Amino acid sequence: MTFTIPIDNGDAVKNAEADSQRTLYPYVTGTSIVAIKYKDGVLMASDMGGSYGSTLRYKNIERMKAIGKHSLLGASGEISDFQEILRYLDELVLNDNMWDDGNSLGPKEVHNYLTRVMYNRRNKFNPLWNTLVLGGVKNGETYLGMVSMIGVSFEDNHVATGFGNHLARPILRDEWHADLSFEDGVKLLEKCMRVLLYRDRSAINKLQIAKITEEGVTVSQPYSLKTFWEFKAFHNPTAGAEGSW
Amino acid sequence: MDLNLDAPHSMGTTIIGVTYNGGVVLGADSRTSTGMYVANRASDKITQLTDNAADSQVVSDYVRYFLHQHTIQLGQPATVKVSANLIRMLAYNNKNMLQTGLIVGGWDKYEGGKIYGIPLGGTVVEQPFAIGGSGSSYLYGFFDQAWKENMTKEEAEQLVVKAVSLAIARDGASGGVVRTVIINSEGVTRNFYPGDKLQLWHEELEPQNSLLDILNAAGPEPMAI
Repeated sequence: MTFTIPIDNGDAVKNAEADSQRTLYPYVTGTSIVAIKYKDGVLMASDMGGSYGSTLRYKNIERMKAIGKHSLLGASGEISDFQEILRYLDELVLNDNMWDDGNSLGPKEVHNYLTRVMYNRRNKFNPLWNTLVLGGVKNGETYLGMVSMIGVSFEDNHVATGFGNHLARPILRDEWHADLSFEDGVKLLEKCMRVLLYRDRSAINKLQIAKITEEGVTVSQPYSLKTFWEFKAFHNPTAGAEGSW
Repeated sequence: MDLNLDAPHSMGTTIIGVTYNGGVVLGADSRTSTGMYVANRASDKITQLTDNAADSQVVSDYVRYFLHQHTIQLGQPATVKVSANLIRMLAYNNKNMLQTGLIVGGWDKYEGGKIYGIPLGGTVVEQPFAIGGSGSSYLYGFFDQAWKENMTKEEAEQLVVKAVSLAIARDGASGGVVRTVIINSEGVTRNFYPGDKLQLWHEELEPQNSLLDILNAAGPEPMAI
């Protein structure tokens, strides 16, 4: 349902305010999503933070949601746009169910739909300000891909958004391998999330890990990771320096 | 075009919504400023709710209109979630034009007392309590420490009044009186706490009628010989 407050700004060519139907910047944002393929499907991790500029304003936002029976969607970026995407997908899944033909949307189809949506919005200079991670399993085939706010779309064995690209992907390139067990997969994701917690200013220490397999989606309860501060060099870094105790 | 993406937009006000065991308490200051001038020192920012001037009023007016229609068609009072989603619809679809962050609070028979925060952009977040406006910057730490679940109605209202009062102490854009609205199964109660009924904070002094009163009071008694 849409309701745009009726405002007549006139000619969009000559009048600068007329094309105010474009998103210029995000307000409430989620940070990285990290996801990997493993033996039984896909594991995805995200924290539960919603930042408002530099303020860590919301600490209970679920940024990963099940889509239909076979897919899991994680989002970083503007939360209101993510909520809108979930509405679009609700309608997509509803219409898919109404066919009542025994078929159901798989992750490949959902990923393709999202790619079209994101790219078309980009073409209208009114992007949905998100980077989306789509993972799923259907008929034994595991799928993991992502779409950016400008419509760039691809699949891989491991993906990450935002800071995760810089901090988590290198770790995954080194340590990911095919057929990871659930335990190894979780430990690998937690290693990435811990680094993000240390180094990403907008990360909070409250995360969830979601798993999708042929059986379906489970999203873990929220939990916190222990952090390590006992390096000797951390205790008294300025000892011996000029002008310090 | 200012692109300081790290500076959140904030409206000159303090607004709070808190759930308690049985309902919700909404609170706000009463200052409306135009630049440095206080245009209205006793405005009412709680109207299903408002936080600052035009945008919130426009949104509230539309939502009130839609909610009224919805109530007629449904045959019973609308739920809080419906109100929140109607506001979201307007806030999200007009995100480029509106500069308004809102807190929606209410009571319905299905879910009891609920608070929904709707910041700039149109995200909807259900929360046990919500704070907003420029004054809210000074309250994040306070609520992190003072908030607890399952408060009584009196505890919840005290918390809200204390919080708005603390924000007024430090935020130039907030001031005036503290208004609260309590919503539960029994209905709606509006309360009003003028500045002189509030607790004094750091470096604030007891208000006097005049210096003369202080001088006269402090005069020493003549010694009785």
